[in-house]
Amino acid sequence: MTMEMEFGARSDIGCVRENNEDSFRLVPEMQLCVLSDGMGGLASGEIASRLSVDTVVKHCGQAQANPSLPLVGKSIDGVSETSNRLASAIRLANQVVYGAAKEKGDDGRMGATLAAARIDGERVTIAHVGDSRIYRLRSSEFEQLTRDHSFVAEQMQHGRMTAEEASSSALQSVLIRAIGIEPEVDVDVNEELLMEGDTLLLCSDGLTRELSDEQIAGVLDESDDSQEAADALVDLAKRAGGGDNITVIVVRLAPKPVGALARIGKWFRDSA
Amino acid sequence: MSKLVLKFENSVLREVPVGASEVSIGRSPENGLVIDNPAVSHYHARVFHEEGRLMLEDFGSLNGTFVNGQRVKMVMLKPGDSVMVGKHTIVVTESSEPKGLTTWSGDARPAAPKINETVMLDTKARRDFLEQVAAGGESSQIAPARVKVATLVVRNGKTDRKEYALTDKLTVVGKSAMATVKLKGWFAPKAAAQINRREDNDYYVGAADKVPSVNGQPIAHPTKLASGDVIAVAGIELEFVYRD
Repeated sequence: MTMEMEFGARSDIGCVRENNEDSFRLVPEMQLCVLSDGMGGLASGEIASRLSVDTVVKHCGQAQANPSLPLVGKSIDGVSETSNRLASAIRLANQVVYGAAKEKGDDGRMGATLAAARIDGERVTIAHVGDSRIYRLRSSEFEQLTRDHSFVAEQMQHGRMTAEEASSSALQSVLIRAIGIEPEVDVDVNEELLMEGDTLLLCSDGLTRELSDEQIAGVLDESDDSQEAADALVDLAKRAGGGDNITVIVVRLAPKPVGALARIGKWFRDSA
Repeated sequence: MSKLVLKFENSVLREVPVGASEVSIGRSPENGLVIDNPAVSHYHARVFHEEGRLMLEDFGSLNGTFVNGQRVKMVMLKPGDSVMVGKHTIVVTESSEPKGLTTWSGDARPAAPKINETVMLDTKARRDFLEQVAAGGESSQIAPARVKVATLVVRNGKTDRKEYALTDKLTVVGKSAMATVKLKGWFAPKAAAQINRREDNDYYVGAADKVPSVNGQPIAHPTKLASGDVIAVAGIELEFVYRD
């Protein structure tokens, strides 16, 4: 089955911040999207997030041309080559940002989150470090596919905090894992099945701090295409306050239009 | 489904769902909702369902139970009602599963404090926390990977094998080329369901073309599997077990 992928993205400074420290890259030829939310004083955040996304794209691009390019870090069991390559790219981004921070004489505050998705046939690799998220909308089910690497998420996992306490906690933005802080980082990698009609959303926390899951799912469901959805999400988040930079990437998978005979055959199968 | 949210002054302490059986409230640890405070009687009150209504009954407590300011003996509760027990407040809420999807004019989530610069947690503080967790005997998130192998055992239905070791992060049940658990049959879907291995080596079953059931219940979202769970989808039954 061939699926048509539709990409949309938007990054906005929001209503409160003085610069945009989010970065993203969309590479449709590699069916790759990456997003990063930078942190650190002055321009450190911008540098960190830009380095992060560029490194991921560059490494994946080099591997396309040369599949025997060694992996950065240990190979993960039970996942595809594509997944391992994406994990490798993120580990490399970590090394690059860590190195840049050292050179800059930074005191360990320069860093970033990273969330990436790469599609390979009917499988999508979901990889991340930090609290930027990846969601999937399938039928009416809106599911967060990534687990935040944040202090409050860890507290909730251990039953020490409820979701409500977490959302009003002053420690919400405290991360326990990020790009560029330590020489090595553990990347969370998962694989998901991809189905016709699925919508993937990658976003920085500037979106999810302002909007509820229901609001986000509603916009995705009602928009005519991915770009419209991306624009609408950012606008809505700004209307709700826009307290941080907001970046979203929307990927929609539509089935390719089929010929008349194939359509009738499909009708028979669907009604079985 | 109704939920009772226990608050003290403005802090949320705990949330307790009210299922089919009642929730008893009081200072004694046997209660469903324990409030450890001298102003609360050992067995103070209870919340229960009766003929589709949510009811509150005070057990003749010393300091009484108040709903929206009025002292009560037995009364019906509605979402939003505020129940005072001693100095604690219990708010009745309805946790709604979104039936449809809300539109743009939906309620925004409660505003978060705007301090937020994203920062890394001080590693010493984190190490201390993790040590505390380990000492408390809770299962730490850094527990070593299981030695046992998660396996699907076919209990019913036509598949290509009788057992499948779940070694991949993504396992597909269906007819497609990428399916591990291969379904037979003319009308078998390409991808009926998927099983994901996530963080901490937990396995989750999720819907694909079909919505699977776990132990007879259709799942509402990707559901974590425990040893012995039986997954039913597309005419087959698979038991999830751990093998050495």
